[in-house]
Amino acid sequence: MDNQKAEMQGIPQWMYTEENYSPRSDRDTFINKSILSIFSILSRIKTQGVGTEGKYSVNAVFKVAFTFMLLILLSISQSSSFVIVVMVYLLAVLSLMEAKMIVKILKVSLIMTLFTFVILLPAALGGNIYSGIMITSKVFATITAVNILSHSTRWSSITSALKRFFVPDIFILVLDITIKYIVMLGDFMLNMLYALKLRSVGRNKSKYTSLSGIAGTMFIESKEMADNMYNAMECRGFTGEYHVCSHFKFTAIDFAYIMMNIAILLIFLYFGRA
Amino acid sequence: MIEIEDVCYSYSGVAALQNINLHIEKGEAVALMGPNGSGKSTLLKLINGIISPDHGTFRFNKKEITRQKLSNTQFAKHFHQQIGFVFQNSDTQLFCADVYDEIAFGPRQMGFDETEVGNRVNDCLQLLNIQDFKNRPPYHLSGGEKRKVAIACVLSLNPEVLVLDEPMSGLDPRTQRWLVEFLVRLNKSGKTIITSTHNLELVPEISSRAVLFDENHTIAADMPSEKLLEDIDLLKKVNLVDQYYHCHQGAGHKHFHDHNF
Amino acid sequence: MHIPDNYLSPSTCAVMFAAMVPVWTIAVNKVKAEMENVKVPMLGICAAFSFLLMMFNVPLPGGTTGHAVGGTLIAILIGPFAACISVTVALLIQALLFGDGGILAFGANCFNMAFVLPFLGYYIYKFIKDSVHSEKGEYIGMAVGSYVGINAAALCTAIEFGIQPLLFKTAAGQPLYSPYPLSMSIPAMTLPHLLVAGVLEAVFTAAIFVFIKKVSPGTIYQGAKQKTKAVYGLIIALICLTPIGLLAAGTAWGEWGTDEIKNVVSGGNALGFVPEGMANGFEFEALMPDYAVRGLPDIAAYILSAIAGAAILIILFKVIGSLKKDKIGENIG
Repeated sequence: MDNQKAEMQGIPQWMYTEENYSPRSDRDTFINKSILSIFSILSRIKTQGVGTEGKYSVNAVFKVAFTFMLLILLSISQSSSFVIVVMVYLLAVLSLMEAKMIVKILKVSLIMTLFTFVILLPAALGGNIYSGIMITSKVFATITAVNILSHSTRWSSITSALKRFFVPDIFILVLDITIKYIVMLGDFMLNMLYALKLRSVGRNKSKYTSLSGIAGTMFIESKEMADNMYNAMECRGFTGEYHVCSHFKFTAIDFAYIMMNIAILLIFLYFGRA
Repeated sequence: MIEIEDVCYSYSGVAALQNINLHIEKGEAVALMGPNGSGKSTLLKLINGIISPDHGTFRFNKKEITRQKLSNTQFAKHFHQQIGFVFQNSDTQLFCADVYDEIAFGPRQMGFDETEVGNRVNDCLQLLNIQDFKNRPPYHLSGGEKRKVAIACVLSLNPEVLVLDEPMSGLDPRTQRWLVEFLVRLNKSGKTIITSTHNLELVPEISSRAVLFDENHTIAADMPSEKLLEDIDLLKKVNLVDQYYHCHQGAGHKHFHDHNF
Repeated sequence: MHIPDNYLSPSTCAVMFAAMVPVWTIAVNKVKAEMENVKVPMLGICAAFSFLLMMFNVPLPGGTTGHAVGGTLIAILIGPFAACISVTVALLIQALLFGDGGILAFGANCFNMAFVLPFLGYYIYKFIKDSVHSEKGEYIGMAVGSYVGINAAALCTAIEFGIQPLLFKTAAGQPLYSPYPLSMSIPAMTLPHLLVAGVLEAVFTAAIFVFIKKVSPGTIYQGAKQKTKAVYGLIIALICLTPIGLLAAGTAWGEWGTDEIKNVVSGGNALGFVPEGMANGFEFEALMPDYAVRGLPDIAAYILSAIAGAAILIILFKVIGSLKKDKIGENIG
């Protein structure tokens, strides 16, 4: 055909000759691993808060406060009975949630628990059973409790709930912006990783250069995003003050939740009298 | 060369592709059209191996491409050398410190010595008319210049197939014109070109065959580009154009556009 | 390097949090002084960047991958005080919203990764950069700064872990929290960082710095307008000593003496503690210290197990039901 025609198009010869290429092997699992971790982060953020605004949801402020209380009580407690009570309570709460959420939450807590178990195994084998059992079970309870909070509550509700804990409004703004930009920058980063993957056709002798190129470009992009965002905010009258509004309605569910948690506090005190 | 049969793909329970059947022969120039969210970009990702179908098969050069096969790095690398993908957002495609390195990335990976690499890079620079940017960092170039660098860095792999996702978006009219001419030249030299685009005017120029997606994520039509653009009813039915879309009969030249530009 | 919950005692967590409060206050004031109030939200984007940086899987020789923290890099790019805030926010989001754990240990984690790492790294970088007046000096400063920074952070983490068994014990002498003493926690944490993680951090973050310097040098923090005064150094030293002081106040200095350490290392049991009842083998009752199991009244035990059983059954049914629907997994390659 084609060679003459192609030359007339100005196309160089190698470009219209088929490449007979056999790739050499190279270890670049880091690209796939990075893609997977970013992808799971982005999925997590994009699906958070889905289906959480039912009639039966507890006010976020209480959830945050009592989750925090639970964490402190668990950390202080030296009573295995108390930890057991808390675990049963958490299991009961879990059973009320949607299957998909249950799977996600259990995945995280079981993995962390296993991890803890492995770390504490040497101490346990050496005779220190207390740490092995107590810390492992506390870890399970703690991670489950925090994940129940973060999966069953819209994150914007969690961040605005922080206002009740004397966190300045401007901090809450920074938090909200961070979450949004983790998604935007994360998308950007994901696409860059895909681009890298698609062009990784052989042996990359400078993997660090490619990866740091992606990170560096992300930083420059984030600076640009920041400037754009700042300009947009200024154009809409932002002067540094930010008011977090929260609509507070106390319902029966809230009451039940508070009672439950007061009961837990009492149980803690009961078992704590050593 | 590319055989897509009964492919379905959904993400998070939402269908993105339904029962897609598509065959593309070597050397063709195909345009994918359709309203936003109809699945064009998803199909392009599938063709490039970024995602794998839930149902159905995707074959390239008679070999089935599955996630399992792509987990074999050597297979994946060979595959990626044969199909080049130009992303819609050029910013995400460029990660090297200067344009020369960016274009040299592919050939260097393929094991060519620096002289051969240099030849290829210079050929690409010349072909896309970006010699002046050789030592500049890609990040600070203009949109059109970045697009050219992105195309160059994919071409330097010498793929058989070139896939472009909305290549005209963000380009000024003159650069769009240039890109059209360029894609035509590439196609004539033997490369298979697959583009997804919203730019209906340019479709018959950059492709001989057009595939129309509809809002149900299926293929509504697959026919020669000129013919598809004349089927105004069909274009309205898939919500790609509105009621003001019309044609001006010029001297022997039909020219479609809508006044929504 | 991220400390999970329940490994540090609540008092340690409280002390570390208290130590961070002045750091955060100074950082916020400094940042507000250097940029107008309205630009403070931009720190959110830097926090997002810091968060995502920790997600990169960086290749290590041998085919495995590791992670970098990037505290020093961020300090050099946007200034140490802004970096402190950004890393803090990133850690908060990781702990609270992603449920990785580390809410109570938040103060300690911030101390290590949002204070020690960025500040130490930054000032070492600055020192080397100002002493060696060349471009190479900057890059060397960056690499050395991040290497030292992360190893210092690892050391702090090791110390926080290691003092737990010394300070917080049950009546029977078993450690309540992290059971590994300093003699174990220090080598366990510092060696991998000295040999591997530190090098990875130095190389990776230096490479990013080189890239940004080449491509867009204007985006890099130009340094504080005034020269760093010695006062700041003093304040920082004070802040570092405070937690140690607070902790020491909680225990008599005598307990840190050589006897304690001898007991830990000798007696054939470097790993753990051997309470008296254990000498004759394992019995379940003996495994739990007496006061922990306060005879649960039968009814309570019955109710508890009924609730637990029902909950577990419901969970199982729901999960199995969803697995059936979900046969189409995510085919993302």
